[in-house]
Amino acid sequence: MSAEAVPVQAAPSVPEEERVRHELEQTWRQPPGLLPWLKSVDHKSVGKRYIITAFIFFVLGGLEAATMRAQLARPENTVLGPDAYNQFFSMHGITMMFLFAVPMMTAIGLYLVPLMIGARNVAFPRLNAYGYWVYLFGGLFLYISFFLNTGPDTGWFSYVPLAGPEFTPGKRADVYAQAITFTEIAALVGSVELIVTIFKNRAPGMTLNRMPLFVWAMLVQAFMVLFAMPWVATATQFLAMDRLVATHFFNPAEGGDPLLWQHLFWFFGHPEVYIIFIPALGFVSSIVATFTRRQVFGYPAMVLSMVATGFLGFGLWVHHMFTTGVPQLGQSFFTGASMMIAIPSGIQIFCWIATIWAGRPRFTVPFLFVLGFVVLFIIGGFTGVMIASVAFDQQVHDTYFIVAHFHYVLIGGAVFPLFAAFYYWFPKLTGRMLSESLGRWNFWLFLLGVNLTFFPMHQLGFEGMPRRVYTYLEETGWGDLNLLATIGAVTIATSMLLFVINVVSSLRQGAPAGDDPWGGETLEWATSSPPRPYNFAYIPVVSGRSPLWASSAEMPVVTGLRTDVRDTLVTTVLDAEPDSKHRHPNPTIWPLLTAVATTILFVTLIFTPWGAVIGTPLLLLGLLGWGWPRGREKWEQQLVEGEA
Amino acid sequence: MRVTRAVADVSALPRTVFGHRSLMWWGTLGFIIIEGTTLFICAMSYFYLRRNYSTWPPEHIFRPALLIPTIQVILMLASNIPMWWADRASRRMDLQGLRAGFLICSALAVMMTILRWFEFRALNVRWDTSAYGSVAWATLTAHTTLLVLELAETVAFTALLFGNQVEERDLSGASDNAFYWYFLTGVWVPLYAIVFLSPYFM
Ligand code: HEM
Repeated sequence: MSAEAVPVQAAPSVPEEERVRHELEQTWRQPPGLLPWLKSVDHKSVGKRYIITAFIFFVLGGLEAATMRAQLARPENTVLGPDAYNQFFSMHGITMMFLFAVPMMTAIGLYLVPLMIGARNVAFPRLNAYGYWVYLFGGLFLYISFFLNTGPDTGWFSYVPLAGPEFTPGKRADVYAQAITFTEIAALVGSVELIVTIFKNRAPGMTLNRMPLFVWAMLVQAFMVLFAMPWVATATQFLAMDRLVATHFFNPAEGGDPLLWQHLFWFFGHPEVYIIFIPALGFVSSIVATFTRRQVFGYPAMVLSMVATGFLGFGLWVHHMFTTGVPQLGQSFFTGASMMIAIPSGIQIFCWIATIWAGRPRFTVPFLFVLGFVVLFIIGGFTGVMIASVAFDQQVHDTYFIVAHFHYVLIGGAVFPLFAAFYYWFPKLTGRMLSESLGRWNFWLFLLGVNLTFFPMHQLGFEGMPRRVYTYLEETGWGDLNLLATIGAVTIATSMLLFVINVVSSLRQGAPAGDDPWGGETLEWATSSPPRPYNFAYIPVVSGRSPLWASSAEMPVVTGLRTDVRDTLVTTVLDAEPDSKHRHPNPTIWPLLTAVATTILFVTLIFTPWGAVIGTPLLLLGLLGWGWPRGREKWEQQLVEGEA
Repeated sequence: MRVTRAVADVSALPRTVFGHRSLMWWGTLGFIIIEGTTLFICAMSYFYLRRNYSTWPPEHIFRPALLIPTIQVILMLASNIPMWWADRASRRMDLQGLRAGFLICSALAVMMTILRWFEFRALNVRWDTSAYGSVAWATLTAHTTLLVLELAETVAFTALLFGNQVEERDLSGASDNAFYWYFLTGVWVPLYAIVFLSPYFM
């Protein structure tokens, strides 16, 4: 058997292409109805669900924020009592970080990456579906607990001893620990998906050196997830065990150590910020390229900066612990590292500016959001360099200055690029354009609102207002600035409402988008909007960094994959040379059932160690059903028996 | 819709490939990284907590027993021989050899799981006695979770191999299972040294 792709020189004839499309449609389509929906393993269905779910959590987190701002609008307000306020800020932080930001980035990657690299699906479609279900159930579990008044109330990083068995009796901290476990599993699954898909399913000719910057961003992010998430997953398991079976990891009386929690948490927690931020850089690069109609300046510098950020992100965790009495030399080291990370971010900003400078930018809504990102992120970056200095940090630690800083970074660095991405890729997902004029209102109100909300918080921090307080006294004089911040929050809420209206009305009556409304450079624009279930009738062949800007009108493709089974092409890691064929699994209900088993395991474990005894067999049963041989093809078997 | 031009025909490419050419190998590697990191964290926590004590194990706690754990670590290392042999058989497309190898390895996995039970007892400390006990138990538990999953997978896979549903690509799957096995047994060596031997030195 020859292991080579045989070169041919012919256009598939039109009737031939029709036949291929028709057969692919039969093989890959998702029939209507609930059951096929539950069984779907298509990265686009799963990705879309993921995106919508993450957006709903964003709205929930936003409603919690709005409630907190209502409470803080004036001194000694009574919207939320102290206990409810604790749950609200904890739920807001957990929701935004674990149920919105990371899953949203992963979700967009899972949707777009296969399209951008010319693949038919992610590498492990069933695992992908499983990851989504686990994420969904984790989120539901957290919110059901919250509505039962058992929401976490010890903050998004739940420090011990506060979160330990002694100071938080009841189940609230257990809910925290287990909800995190759900989301970590989903994130890890997503990252394995992305890495293998990117390494092995790229279109022929798409060498690493020609990969779109967005795909690079997702690759770096996925590796960071792989190395960072196990830390918090382990930490939360230790916490759960301290609470359930009286281990002593964090109990100083028996040789445990509360600082162990902080180390484990921040070794994850700081990379987490970059896990959210790096995909956003990828959005920005795609959008800048399209709307200036130029390749982003300095491709190697861009890639290296992202990779460097990925590494440096792991060297910074201690800067969250400057006030815990870290040794002097350690402090200097981590201050240095914290300042150094500004370098790769700076390089990227300069590359974008150079691109915009040289091109003729079109100020569409996605591009406006990119500009908004630059402005907000620079402000957040400035305050970041300020608090990297230990002396300064000791003054503002745990004040509203920090709240202001990280909202600028997170909203500027992640949410603005995300909205840019929504406007940019919405046509691809739905086949319709979002309204530009509503989009402009959305943008300007959002930008105004963020600054109204968070800029005054810098000053509140200097004046000594601590974070996580449910109210303050009249005499502090913090009332006016807090009122201003609340007005800002209302402005943000209004802009979000406009966005939702825009989405709903555009889904019905938006202008049809066509395949490539913006004139993009990457492969996702080569297929229909929304893409067919098989993505590409023929796998494209790539010979440059901007395949769609190549001069030839014809798109080179490979032929020879089967159309009657879910066939896909596997290529080599570095050079993306065709290497083998791989058959993807058909839709199946087992990922969902396995996720249900996982949920039973985790939830019962909150109440009794016997949960493991009940849950593990269920989980194994799920996996057995998953791997059960079905739909196999005899001819392949014969081959084996013949040779054996 | 763009006009297309065929430049290559891939119908002759193989369907069954091994090692880093196969998707599953990379997926397995991903999970090895995740689980390797988790075990590394357990080990780091072990050393971190060690600093809180003047003696190790803490006072009034016996050192772990060594007999069973040492048998286990030797068994784990030795189990790589039949697994490696099965791996080779799969690459030769030798179904009979593969069956034999997996049968032996399934039996070994059962033995390892049983021995693991006694290893917990060999720790000579309860998880709720002190932080020392907690972290030793946690490390062992983390590895046991992986062991149980691999036991289940190996047994199920062996059953599949003896059924009449075998496909050519299962041979590649067998090889990936072997890859995971090397990790699972190999990583136990340093963990064994930390959990069972280090209390004699630290
Ligand atoms: C959209 C408008 C937003 C508003 C008005 C808002 C408002 C707030 C408020 C009032 C707090 C509590 C401050 C305190 O009492 O200490 C807070 C905390 C927090 N916010 Fe936001 N926020 C917004 C968006 C976001 C986003 C997009 C993220 C992340 C991606 C985020 C992440 C956090 C985190 C991690 C905390 C800390 C929670 C804790 O202390 O445990 N927020 N936010």
